[in-house]
Amino acid sequence: MKKILTIVLKDTIIRFSSLSEWLFFLILPIIFTIVLAGGTGAPKDTRIILAVTDLAESPLSAQLINELENSDVVRPDVKELEKAEDDLKSRKVSTMLVIPEDFSLENLSSRELRIDFYQLPNSLDAIASEQAVQEVISKISSSVEIAQNSVALAEQVHPFSSERDRQAYFNTAMKQAQEEIKNAPQRMKVQLAATKAEIDYDPQANSSAGQLITWVFIPLIGISGMFAFERQKGTLRRVLVTPTVKSTYLIGTILGQVFWALVQMALLISFGILVMKLHWGQNIPALIVIMISSALSAAALGVMLGAFVKTEGQATGLSIMIGMVMALLGGCWYPIELFPKIVGTITKILPTRWAMQGLLDLVLRGQGMAAVLPEAGVLLAFAAVFLIIGIWRFKYE
Amino acid sequence: MRKLWIIGWKDLRLAFRDRSALIFMLLAPFLLTLGLGLISGRFSGSSSGFNSIPVVIVNQDEGQIGKELVKLFQSDNLADLLYVVVIDKAATAQAHVDNDKVAAAVVIPAGFTESIIPDANAMLTGQASGKIEQILVYSNPNRPTSAGVIQSIVKSFTQEVEKMRIAEQVAFSQMFVNGILTQNDMALIQQLVAKTQSENQKTKNLIVLNNQTTTAEAKDFDVLAYMAPGMALMFLMFTTSNGGRALLSEKNQGTLPRLLVSPTRSYQVLGGKVFGTFLTGTAQMLILIVSSGFLFNLRWGNPLAVLLLVIVAVFAAVGWGLLITAFAKTPGQVGTAGSALMLLFGILGGSFFSLSNFPTWFQMVSKITPNAWGLDGFTRLASGGTLADIVTPLCALLIMGVVLFAISIVVFNRRNVMRV
Repeated sequence: MKKILTIVLKDTIIRFSSLSEWLFFLILPIIFTIVLAGGTGAPKDTRIILAVTDLAESPLSAQLINELENSDVVRPDVKELEKAEDDLKSRKVSTMLVIPEDFSLENLSSRELRIDFYQLPNSLDAIASEQAVQEVISKISSSVEIAQNSVALAEQVHPFSSERDRQAYFNTAMKQAQEEIKNAPQRMKVQLAATKAEIDYDPQANSSAGQLITWVFIPLIGISGMFAFERQKGTLRRVLVTPTVKSTYLIGTILGQVFWALVQMALLISFGILVMKLHWGQNIPALIVIMISSALSAAALGVMLGAFVKTEGQATGLSIMIGMVMALLGGCWYPIELFPKIVGTITKILPTRWAMQGLLDLVLRGQGMAAVLPEAGVLLAFAAVFLIIGIWRFKYE
Repeated sequence: MRKLWIIGWKDLRLAFRDRSALIFMLLAPFLLTLGLGLISGRFSGSSSGFNSIPVVIVNQDEGQIGKELVKLFQSDNLADLLYVVVIDKAATAQAHVDNDKVAAAVVIPAGFTESIIPDANAMLTGQASGKIEQILVYSNPNRPTSAGVIQSIVKSFTQEVEKMRIAEQVAFSQMFVNGILTQNDMALIQQLVAKTQSENQKTKNLIVLNNQTTTAEAKDFDVLAYMAPGMALMFLMFTTSNGGRALLSEKNQGTLPRLLVSPTRSYQVLGGKVFGTFLTGTAQMLILIVSSGFLFNLRWGNPLAVLLLVIVAVFAAVGWGLLITAFAKTPGQVGTAGSALMLLFGILGGSFFSLSNFPTWFQMVSKITPNAWGLDGFTRLASGGTLADIVTPLCALLIMGVVLFAISIVVFNRRNVMRV
């Protein structure tokens, strides 16, 4: 036991000898967690952004923009023509509306006006925007259209004696039309269904759990680098000429890294509880079970990798790469429910998938020990398989 | 110039012989791109374009307006956009929405037409004809955009219907107010009402939406065209910092002093090392671009513009690598700072996620990264853009590189990094 503790202490001193370790141990994971929690969730205003360029700057164009502001579907973003075109080209927006210079009430009373509407092809957002804009322009031109219609019908019965009479008739008809439109009853009502959400997703919870796994798995897989380093430098042989058996060395190395992984997890979880107000602490025993089983599976993967790599450089590169790819495919960056079904099924061969599922059972779904036991079981099975292969193929020299 | 080339070429060959470096330079971005393609459905074809919006309609109205709305939903104009099923029972339609089978259910209530079309008496009195019936749009909250389209269609329709009602209302009441018609003209009024309603008279649309689909991009946008450059640019930062690490390693291992005692000036050595990093970064980007083009059938866009963008993106990234090297004391420090910067720039510059959902200040901060500008340029090119469309990212990257090189050289000189 004393030897194991000595190995743990030695690895701890080596790992934290540089202040830069804190960058990867705590600072970057927290930055990633915060950024992803803020950037991957649904924005507060879910309306589709419609780039609008107002070349007219008339009361009518202001009315049009105001009506668009009230839309449930689009959110107008008024900007210069060049910037709007640029946004459309770079796909920052899917649609752009250009209100022409002649867009005024005076012109609308006398002739047809055209508004240029540009849209990206094959975009549902663009089609939704188009429908919303159609709805708004129909609304704002209604009073003029009704007044014109009124004048035309009156003329069928009794022609006007002068243009002045005609205009006066038009004006009063438009005034009445505006009043009627204002008081018009709603002919449509919208009711939101109680459809069950497609995916269990909370940007804060998913980000906290996902980044925890990402940043804990990478250094644990990096155990392979420690073995490679000791093999390269010959220090492993030196250890083994002392009265220390191989298993003591392996256990000491693994336990040391698992211990610090648990500390790292605890710190990131504390951050989640204190800063992000996440419900990590609802079932502490279940949380501990999933934390330990996750850490063991990742550490065992590191041991297995350590048996195959030749240099520390290779091990470092591979552990970061494998860690990132496994995190990505395990649902730590994007919700697994969004993956194509076949890919979602295939990802079950990854421990990150089970670790993520276990953590989300706790922090997102508020479940308990019974829910995480299957995940913990799979993770421990992974750990056993990796460890067996790792020890079997392990080279001490 | 020859010495510069020899040193640069030597470093390029060394970089591509280093298996550990190759993991970061090529394998990692390639596998992550592959992973992103897999999870986004790029390889299973489930991410392209959009499917028709499924909607169910229940028409309980026996009048003309209900039928018109059903006709509108089934019209050729909306055939590509909507997949419409007409059923009888409102409860069944709502169940379809509740079970996430359709985007929305539209229920036209009984008496809807009657509640809108005014009779002659209503024309005279100006009173509405009775109870107000409303069309129900039962929306699926899981499909807000699709449900929004349905709502817009129904709202436009009801607005149009309401406009027609008001148009009749205003036309007749104005004729009464102005004495053109009187109570005695009831026969004429009924004739006019019948005429306007039988013709289903529509007021003319005075504002026309001149709809134009952008021509340069008449194809589906490939999600991989965003992800592949994102990953390539992120791991480019590793290559550039690795170049800096190699420079300090040469100093520590004594090979740099050896070079400097030869008839080679320090600026030639530094220039050669930087040129080597630049060549390595450019080769890395081009290998990733060509391989993803072949293996994933990814269209990067105008080849000349892509090449130019690669060159300036690598130039800017080398600038960052040089800056880290200028401030670092040991190769280890360069490695650590380089890895941290690679990840930070990756997340800041949009290599992992599109920045469109992030706040404006975040998008502004992202502009300090070559990733953000590079991605902007690559996305434009993949969308069919030309060299003219990427002038801004090209200039931004060029300026970034020049500024970083200038700062780095000043720091190098002050710290005497290139002295024996």
